[in-house]
Amino acid sequence: MVGKGQKMIRVTLNVNGRDYVVEVKPHWTLLHVLRDQLGLTGVKYGCGTGECGACTVLIDGKPMTSCLVLAASADGRKIVTIEGIADKGKLHPIQEAFIEAGAIQCGYCTPGMILTAKALLEKNPNPTEEEVRRAIDGNLCRCTGYVKIVKAILEAAKKMKA
Amino acid sequence: MPLFRPKEYFRVATVGEAVSLLKRFGGAAAILAGGTDLLVAKPPHVEYIVDISRLPLNYIKKGARGVRIGALATLNDIAASPELREEPYDVIARSTWDMGTPLTKNFATIGGNICNAAPSADMPPSLIALDAEARIIGPRGKRRVFLEDFFIGPKKSVLKRGELLAEIFVPRAPANTKAVFLKKGRTSEDIAQVNVAVRLTVDDGLCKAARIVLGAVAPTPIRAKAAERMLEGKGLKEISQIMVDVARKAAEETKPISDVRAPAEYRRSVAEVLTKRALLNLMERFGGA
Repeated sequence: MVGKGQKMIRVTLNVNGRDYVVEVKPHWTLLHVLRDQLGLTGVKYGCGTGECGACTVLIDGKPMTSCLVLAASADGRKIVTIEGIADKGKLHPIQEAFIEAGAIQCGYCTPGMILTAKALLEKNPNPTEEEVRRAIDGNLCRCTGYVKIVKAILEAAKKMKA
Repeated sequence: MPLFRPKEYFRVATVGEAVSLLKRFGGAAAILAGGTDLLVAKPPHVEYIVDISRLPLNYIKKGARGVRIGALATLNDIAASPELREEPYDVIARSTWDMGTPLTKNFATIGGNICNAAPSADMPPSLIALDAEARIIGPRGKRRVFLEDFFIGPKKSVLKRGELLAEIFVPRAPANTKAVFLKKGRTSEDIAQVNVAVRLTVDDGLCKAARIVLGAVAPTPIRAKAAERMLEGKGLKEISQIMVDVARKAAEETKPISDVRAPAEYRRSVAEVLTKRALLNLMERFGGA
């Protein structure tokens, strides 16, 4: 028993291909643990209520808002954050496409946006613009107006097929 | 202000384990399925979390008698399920469209949407319109309740201490049954100001059964039974002529409140419009308009 009588839970989180054993409190979110225990600050806190998508990570391949996932509940799951998608220092094609299209302004939404795009392109390598727009419906960007983000994702799809 | 600081977290491997913990802790326990409601509400009274997310209740199966949807089926599973493409079950998939975001729908569950018992929840109207039943497991074994009777007030259901919603059963619909779901919210992510599901079963050109189920206009989802009765036994042509009156009757049966999302008069008025549009949609699909 620790703190105000809360019982810690030992969990194993597989993050970006590596197992981390961490002790978590019952109310800690996955977002909190990724940022504050594991130092993976690419994942952002935005609204805390699952509406903005800044905290998006992939859990077993699916994009989810990590602010609404209990860390204890993520035990044993495969988690991918933005830190985990470059390949030995070489940016992922979606990351490259975002830079080339100028799809990044303040950058706060970018990690979540890219992970959502990655999950989309794995499921649907040849999406229409409409499908891209639907896929990123849960990732808010307050800078770009989305035009360049959508363009970047469509360009990334072409790159990944090539 | 008291914070959400549960003392202990349990991840259960069997339904029996869940039931015994829920019975032991009663109101101090919260069930965690997807968590998309629990972690927004963060209720400070919760002392124990019972995580049921690994129970084998994530399935959508169609059999001879109907469709069984496990309580842990996610909203995206439901949206994409091949078992829910055929009429009238397509209305269940349709009901997920305007809920939350694609990200939260990857883990928000149908069981959570039902058990939170929000009067504005989007899944119940379609399921009630298809005469679905809730299959419940508790300390005294299994029981079944029509989903229509599952809700007893805002945030209140018939679930008793120790009980868990395990499955939704949607009985096989008679031939020539079609249903539609419509929702009005401020944005597509937002909670419904009004939602409605309408189901018609037509045989030999006559309406054999009608369901009009409205959400967010009463303490629970409600059936507009007087309006349903106006439809039953009528021919499609006649229904087209009385649609406006049926919709007005359905709106009269609502008991909306005014809150931050919409005033009562607005809700009643929208209930009428949505019911009318739903009937119009069905008339077009039945070829009677």
